[in-house]
Amino acid sequence: MISIIKFMKNLLLIFFILLLPYQDSFSQEEVNIYTSRHYDSDIKIYEEFENRTGIKVNYITGKGNALFERIKSEGKNCPADIFITVDAGNLWKVEKEGYFQKIKSDKIAKLLDKRFIGPDAKWIGIAKRFRVIVYNSDKFDKNKMQNISYEDLASNDFKNKIAIRSSSNIYNQSLIASLIYHNGESKTKEWLKGFVSNFSRKPQGNDRAQVMAVAYGEADLAIVNHYYLGIMLSGKSGEKQKNAAEKVSVAFPNTSNRGVHVNISGAGILKNSKNYNNALKYIEFLLEKDIQKHIVLNTYEYPIIDKVEPSPVIKGLGSKYKEDKLKVKELGINNPKAVRLMDVAGWK
Amino acid sequence: MKLNKLILNNIEHSYGNSPILDKLCLELIGGEITCLIGESGAGKTTLLRIIAGLEKQSGGEIILGDRVISDHMSFIDTNKREIGLVVQERALFPHLKVIDNICFGLKGKKGYKIERAEYLMNIFRIINYRDSYPHEISSGEQQRVSLARALAPSPKILLMDEPFSSIDRALKFSLRKDTKEILKDEKITSLIVSHDFNDALEVADKLAIIDKGKIAQIGEPRSVVLNPINNQIKKQFLCETGDMLYWKSKIDEDNNK
Amino acid sequence: MRNFFSLSPIFIVAIIFSLPAIFIFLSLAQDFSSNWVHLVDTVLPEYLLNSLKLFIGVSIGVFILGVSTAWIISTCEFRGKKFFSWALILPFAIPPYIMSYAFTGLFDSYGTANDLARFIFQLDPETVLFPSVRNITGAIIVFSFTLYPYVFLISQTSFLNQSRDIFDVSRTLGLSRFKTFFKVALPIARPSIVAALMLVAMEVLSDFGAVEHFAIPTFTSGIFRTWFGLNDLTTAKQLASILFMIFLFLILIEKYSRRKILYTSNSTSNRELVPTPLKGYKEFFAIIICSLPIFIGFFIPFLQLIYWTIFYETSFFSSGFISLITNSLSLAAISSIICLSIATIINYIIRIEKNNFLSFINKIITSGYGIPGIVLALGVLNFFLILDNISNIILTGSLIGLIFAYCVKFYAVTNSSISSGFKKISINLDNVASSLGSPNRRILKSIHLPLLKSSFLIGTLVFMIEVIKELPATLILRPFNFNTLSVSAYNYASDERMIEAAAPSIGIVIACLIPIIILIKLIGKDEIE
Repeated sequence: MISIIKFMKNLLLIFFILLLPYQDSFSQEEVNIYTSRHYDSDIKIYEEFENRTGIKVNYITGKGNALFERIKSEGKNCPADIFITVDAGNLWKVEKEGYFQKIKSDKIAKLLDKRFIGPDAKWIGIAKRFRVIVYNSDKFDKNKMQNISYEDLASNDFKNKIAIRSSSNIYNQSLIASLIYHNGESKTKEWLKGFVSNFSRKPQGNDRAQVMAVAYGEADLAIVNHYYLGIMLSGKSGEKQKNAAEKVSVAFPNTSNRGVHVNISGAGILKNSKNYNNALKYIEFLLEKDIQKHIVLNTYEYPIIDKVEPSPVIKGLGSKYKEDKLKVKELGINNPKAVRLMDVAGWK
Repeated sequence: MKLNKLILNNIEHSYGNSPILDKLCLELIGGEITCLIGESGAGKTTLLRIIAGLEKQSGGEIILGDRVISDHMSFIDTNKREIGLVVQERALFPHLKVIDNICFGLKGKKGYKIERAEYLMNIFRIINYRDSYPHEISSGEQQRVSLARALAPSPKILLMDEPFSSIDRALKFSLRKDTKEILKDEKITSLIVSHDFNDALEVADKLAIIDKGKIAQIGEPRSVVLNPINNQIKKQFLCETGDMLYWKSKIDEDNNK
Repeated sequence: MRNFFSLSPIFIVAIIFSLPAIFIFLSLAQDFSSNWVHLVDTVLPEYLLNSLKLFIGVSIGVFILGVSTAWIISTCEFRGKKFFSWALILPFAIPPYIMSYAFTGLFDSYGTANDLARFIFQLDPETVLFPSVRNITGAIIVFSFTLYPYVFLISQTSFLNQSRDIFDVSRTLGLSRFKTFFKVALPIARPSIVAALMLVAMEVLSDFGAVEHFAIPTFTSGIFRTWFGLNDLTTAKQLASILFMIFLFLILIEKYSRRKILYTSNSTSNRELVPTPLKGYKEFFAIIICSLPIFIGFFIPFLQLIYWTIFYETSFFSSGFISLITNSLSLAAISSIICLSIATIINYIIRIEKNNFLSFINKIITSGYGIPGIVLALGVLNFFLILDNISNIILTGSLIGLIFAYCVKFYAVTNSSISSGFKKISINLDNVASSLGSPNRRILKSIHLPLLKSSFLIGTLVFMIEVIKELPATLILRPFNFNTLSVSAYNYASDERMIEAAAPSIGIVIACLIPIIILIKLIGKDEIE
């Protein structure tokens, strides 16, 4: 019995020792980040920032919505200075509820296209992603596909041919939100009906799985975020995925009109930030040329600044495309509508 | 009603290298109650389990009624032997009411089952506990339920392992009396394994003494008690009952009546 | 109630533990938004139906797998029994979401199993041999094979505790072994089995990872969809309250179904069951039945994970990997000790007070197990925010929040082993001790605690395994720069970067195996005693 008590005492000791490193270390300059980007290559960015500025980066990763809920719950005690997330809709939500503060930087204003700066400079984009179509070139005419639009996909020609992931995924919700913005709610509802009836299988897996489905003949066409193709083509995920990605062709939809659906990952400084200057430094740092280069080479996103080229793998996907210029906040505004319409259409 | 005899021929059994039963022979006459007494480890319970078919003997044969239920060729499973078993711990089914415990082994229509169970409950004077659960009644009553349950399907033979040993003295006496009555009534061949000579003297027709895996002596209980074939039995009897002279005088008294 | 102060701990714990749930329940007082109409009209019926199908399918699955193997192991003797008796616990080490990753990796049309089949039989690359697992059947299989060890462990203990005499008597009354199992052994073990099934049901119904991966929208998916997709946290909380009430309802039914019956055998000397040796085809079947769950529930997914890590070079044993394992293990150990102490105190009070109301309250505390992790995390955040404001000490975002969430969520696990441990100690022992003049405190210290030793260890270990596997609450409550194995595995797997997810998944399996091996050693020792 005594030994058990002793054991418990020791455990409590370990417990407190464990707690220590996680208490704020007041002496050091630091910046605290909540991020829903969880790429190993981002860790390199934190390290690089520490090397250059001596400011320590603390971070946790998590789902965007969940982290935002944590920010809200923590209120004025929230230790985070920066919130980074991968969908414009999420950024808009945080801004709307007043949890961001202005990013006061002339440097950024000069560097970035206005589209990627939120209202009142409350947040900025740090990288772009396109939602593109991949298809089996044996089944469709290549020239025709170069002129395809999202709107075409509701037509009977695509009966039982389309693979796409579940409607709970934010990328799909944002895509539909953009359609609602451009075409209106009732047209989109009609469109969804045709589109969903063209599915070749129950929505499942992620974007990568849709590329595999096209490569393995389970579907003839799929809608995916472009950078998945980059990762697959790079061979980092194995030969099989590389071969599959090489097998399929890519089309950028709506090139003849408004352009392909663009989304961003972005960052903002939180209202209750206690290290505003450090946070500002970090956000400016993310737009440095070499950091942008690091991002596009590792995550295969498109750079947010013009001076940096996308990764060669991504360049290989094609250069004849237009970008949809809609303000990304519209994606957030129309998100709940999109979910409702998808539910009604029976998109699982 | 047909009386079922039980014949054990040259039963041998051992656990590992230690022999438990050594060419044991025993015959129970149909309708008689036999009490088997021996020291702990003499092989009483093992013998009971072998008769019940819960263990298989390594040699010898068992005949119940007019069929061989176990020898080196054949082995009839416990559930097909039509045997009643009562154990010291009662082993009532905790999830069943008293009545359902008694009906457990009965086959046939529901009405018949309940009639038979209620008949036995009346005899064992437990009808008041009909719908109680086993944990709600006393140990003496539990043993009555256990007896009623074993007797309900009219087994060919009733095997009882220390049935009276964990019951209050006062209750013990009346339970012994009731048990004897019903066994005689239903003419069921019975074997009681015990270490208590009182069980033999009060209930049994025959007393068999088991020693070192063999039947050392068998006969009418009083004559065995009064004329033990060896000192050891005498000693044991003395230990168990405490007062030999008391019993001697009681038996003499009965004989004079 | 003799002494209010002796009862206060249980109420305090009950209140503190139920606060996160209460914060969720408060949502019911808020307005019901128009999203309700939308949900009911469109998706909710299907979500409910899917949840129901999963609940029924998995209950049947774990019952068959867990009870049949437990029965064979505790009553039969056959070649390899020793191996099976511990190997059957191994699938415990594999969380359902990881098993579902492995299963899709194997059985998707381009999965390992199909590749292998195509290679062996020289089929053309479009042939698909194995059916898709991304459906309800697949999910039922995954949950059944990862969660049956609960039922196995609990029913094995229950079978071993039943007295041999009862089985013997049943057989003399004309019932075959098979019938005895159904009419005697199973009903007596019923409360334990039902308790295990409840744990499984709660785990299945509140799961998000595996069902998301298999693309089966369930009630819990509905909660997330409403929260994240419709931006409607209130409705999401209201849905979570309904799920929670369903669990309370299940607990009530279970409680009601055994109002009066005492399920423990009343024998004083429990002679142990003598295992029957199996020969010939019977032995063969026993081996098949026992190998199947181990094979499907452990070796197949484990091999798939190993395949991923070995055939695609990943930086497997980086220094970070070791710190992930130590983080997971130490967090698990600390929170399990805390939860254990709480469970012991509460169960002890229930024992000395013999109050039905108290044991009912205790039951309610255990229903925290049924709150989906992320919803619970939200409740914990709300609660800690208030604490922070009152106390000026910032607890939010510290390990304390995480540990608190684990205690609330997995109290059920610890409680079940402690309460059954207390039940095994005869109340006569207490009576004898107090007649000898021992005060209650001394009875607890010198009688109960030593006798509860094995319950302690089993409770601790199962709790630890649960914590190591836990994902959603960890994800949202953890402090800065703090990663666990499950978080790390999830970060990759949510992106279907299975190859990179494989290494931390193996880490989870290894970290779980440590307590499991201790557990197995203990059970082995128990049998000898």
